[in-house]
Amino acid sequence: MEVIEILVKPGDTVQQEDSIVTLEGDKATMEVPTTVGGVVKEIKIKVGDLVAEGSVILTLEVEGEAKAPTNEASKEEAKPQKPSKANGRSTEASVEVAAPSGDVYASPGVRRLAHELGVDLRNVGGTGPKNRIIKQDVFAYVKKRLSGGGDGLQIGPARKVDFTKFGEVETVPLSKINKATAVNVHRSWVTIPHVTQFDEADTTDMEAFRQKNKKKATDSGYKLTPLVFIMKAVVGALKEVPRFNSSLDANGDNLIYKKYFHLGIAVDTPDGLVVPVVKDVDKKDIYELAKELGEISGKARDKKLTPADMAGSCFTISSLGGIGGTAFTPIVNAPDVGILGVSRSKVTPVYQGDKVVPRLMLPLSLSYDHRVIDGAAAARFIVDLSARLGDVKGLTK
Amino acid sequence: MTKESINAEVVVIGAGPGGYSAAFRAADLGKQVVLVERYASLGGVCLNVGCIPSKALLHAAKVIEDAKDMSKYGVTFGDPKIDIEKLLGWKQGIVDKLTGGLTALAKRRNVQVVHGEGNFVSPNELSVKSADGDIAITFEQAIIAAGSSPAQLPFIPDDPRVMDSTGALLLEDVNCKMLVLGGGIIGLEMATIYHSLGANIDVVEFMEQLIPGVDKDIIKVLHKHIEARYNNIMLGTRVTAVEAKKEGLLVTFEGENAPGKPVLYDRILVAVGRTPNGKSLDAEKAGIEVDEKGFIAVDNQQKTNVEHIYAIGDIVGQPMLAHKAMPEGRLAAEVISGKRHYFDAKCIPSVSYTDPELAWVGITETEAKDKGLDYGRGVFPWAASGRALGMARTEGMTKLIFDNADNKLIGAAIVGVNAGELIGEMALAIEMGCDAEDVALTVHPHPTLSETIMLSSEVFEGTITDLYLPKRKKR
Repeated sequence: MEVIEILVKPGDTVQQEDSIVTLEGDKATMEVPTTVGGVVKEIKIKVGDLVAEGSVILTLEVEGEAKAPTNEASKEEAKPQKPSKANGRSTEASVEVAAPSGDVYASPGVRRLAHELGVDLRNVGGTGPKNRIIKQDVFAYVKKRLSGGGDGLQIGPARKVDFTKFGEVETVPLSKINKATAVNVHRSWVTIPHVTQFDEADTTDMEAFRQKNKKKATDSGYKLTPLVFIMKAVVGALKEVPRFNSSLDANGDNLIYKKYFHLGIAVDTPDGLVVPVVKDVDKKDIYELAKELGEISGKARDKKLTPADMAGSCFTISSLGGIGGTAFTPIVNAPDVGILGVSRSKVTPVYQGDKVVPRLMLPLSLSYDHRVIDGAAAARFIVDLSARLGDVKGLTK
Repeated sequence: MTKESINAEVVVIGAGPGGYSAAFRAADLGKQVVLVERYASLGGVCLNVGCIPSKALLHAAKVIEDAKDMSKYGVTFGDPKIDIEKLLGWKQGIVDKLTGGLTALAKRRNVQVVHGEGNFVSPNELSVKSADGDIAITFEQAIIAAGSSPAQLPFIPDDPRVMDSTGALLLEDVNCKMLVLGGGIIGLEMATIYHSLGANIDVVEFMEQLIPGVDKDIIKVLHKHIEARYNNIMLGTRVTAVEAKKEGLLVTFEGENAPGKPVLYDRILVAVGRTPNGKSLDAEKAGIEVDEKGFIAVDNQQKTNVEHIYAIGDIVGQPMLAHKAMPEGRLAAEVISGKRHYFDAKCIPSVSYTDPELAWVGITETEAKDKGLDYGRGVFPWAASGRALGMARTEGMTKLIFDNADNKLIGAAIVGVNAGELIGEMALAIEMGCDAEDVALTVHPHPTLSETIMLSSEVFEGTITDLYLPKRKKR
């Protein structure tokens, strides 16, 4: 986590739970509170430092104590600890950050090798006598990790191109959010066999209802958008086809069905794409959802989302309807197994019996993990979803 | 005096076992190294006035005791004639051979040795007060290996008859009445030497047992052995005053085993522990945090709070042992040279080279009990060891501690002659994650003391045939 703001200065008096520092990690910024109150003696970090659990943030003079112990910060991000170990060295590029080997069944030489390769031995299966982890196990593990778990794609390195040869350029570093998104979508793209199914839902009645009732929301300070209706419809479809509300377990042997309905909502921010999660959508009505969506989107744009705000989604909705386009193929937000892309609705001539009538049609693009969901289930899901979107009474019950 | 200046990629402060290991390893990994040592000879306390010379004298003590004991079994020698000068010469010869060897090893590696006391001037500069004037050493990285010194007691008078471990090795007066102040390893080793050479020994220890930290059943064996030989062992007792008189040192005691009135001694050996030398380096000028005791905190790569400065050995904390300092020193050199190594030892053995010896590694039974662990013991008494019988030293015992959940060896303690030579196998077994079966099924040579380790595992397993233990679980 990178320090982006220090909220106190030496001499300040802080109470327990007061925020003392703002940290930015993957996709979130958070304020870290102090676990004890006192007078700030010395700040041990500066803006831009990388810190991790155990980093010393600052020292406090605690009332009633002659000499204060080094102190500082939240349960997760920074524990009081005497030797300051952070110094910006806490993150290292490697397969994974090597943890102390602790109580693993491996000889000292194997433990050293694991440190050198950045392998956490707790993740390595042993094939030696009595399942002892031997050197070959560590090598095999690294090989597997480097090849993305399989035999590898044998892709050569990206070509380096000097763009200045062709004209003027400007190099801008990617934001943390951009980088994290890149890692996540790349992993999903190469590990999940994607299929995308399209449909159009008739949202004429839904839109009429929305126009009629939107003032009710606006008066209370939030917007009744089509998205909240889509969220309700998705929950209905998830109940109808529960396989869409599942995840594969880590070794791919089991399917985990979820009995809750949390929806990830892709939100565009100036720094990039974030996916806050609206919890228990099945238990909330459209007005409650509209209010919560307004709050969470605001939080996303203000960079106030915490990791907890973005954890636990079952299924994700990415709505580009406000911008335009007819259809797209969204990438599944693993470990979800499905994602719904929503494009811009359009008044379209539709046959009803012999008559052509103008209907407001909403294009839907449903991508899914084909390891978990087959085409028939996906078709059933999207047909059910379309039907629900056409039945505004059902959505607003 | 000219002010000389030297640039170093790596400067190592202190040439004890940790310091020279660090310097040599860094040099072997391609670094340009300067080694700063305040004394004329390399090797630090361990080689010059610690582990090595004391072991030479302990060997002499053992020969004397063994010869004396043999008279009970039909081999009688006359009383030993002790030529202290010659004995000291032999001891010094060993020290010189080893320290001279280090000088040669430093030269072979192009490690530049600078003699003098080093103090930090800034985060990248050290000033060394040498016989030829001050030398400024600028460095990219530093390894502090400045060790520790014998702890002092404020109320003890400055008198030549009061010795610390360094002074005691000079054997100035061995036919004396001596008080050993502190019943730890250093004090008891010195007591072993002085007793054999003719001194009359009293030991005073503030805690309720000798060598606090060792399991009671283990220390009991040593206690019983020396109790029969020394004049008085006072536990739970402390010294409150020492008065230097012409006829001797008058010592006043306080505590449960304190003598009724002050006692007169010819000599006092103060062995109440060691103090880290962290405060003698002007470390604050480099921004290094030193705690109130003089320790410098480091992480598991020996890094201090200052990015490019490392610390190793006694100065970073307990246990203050050369065999802990050496791997730490090599590790610091490796980390500096870009290796991703960490200090990751599961256990560090301890040895008391008393007679009998004590050695232990891993968890002690006391710790296991305090932590509420579900543990099991495998104890083999040396009275049932043919080898111990043949050495006429049957007081020993071997005790192994196992985790009952998976029968893994988590600790070992041995008391008896050569215990220090036996404990290495146990350290290896713990590092390798051996369980009782692994140790019991490893064929050990017969008849040896090392067998007792295998037999202790068999006791735990319930497979022992050399003893009859009807209540043990059977496998």
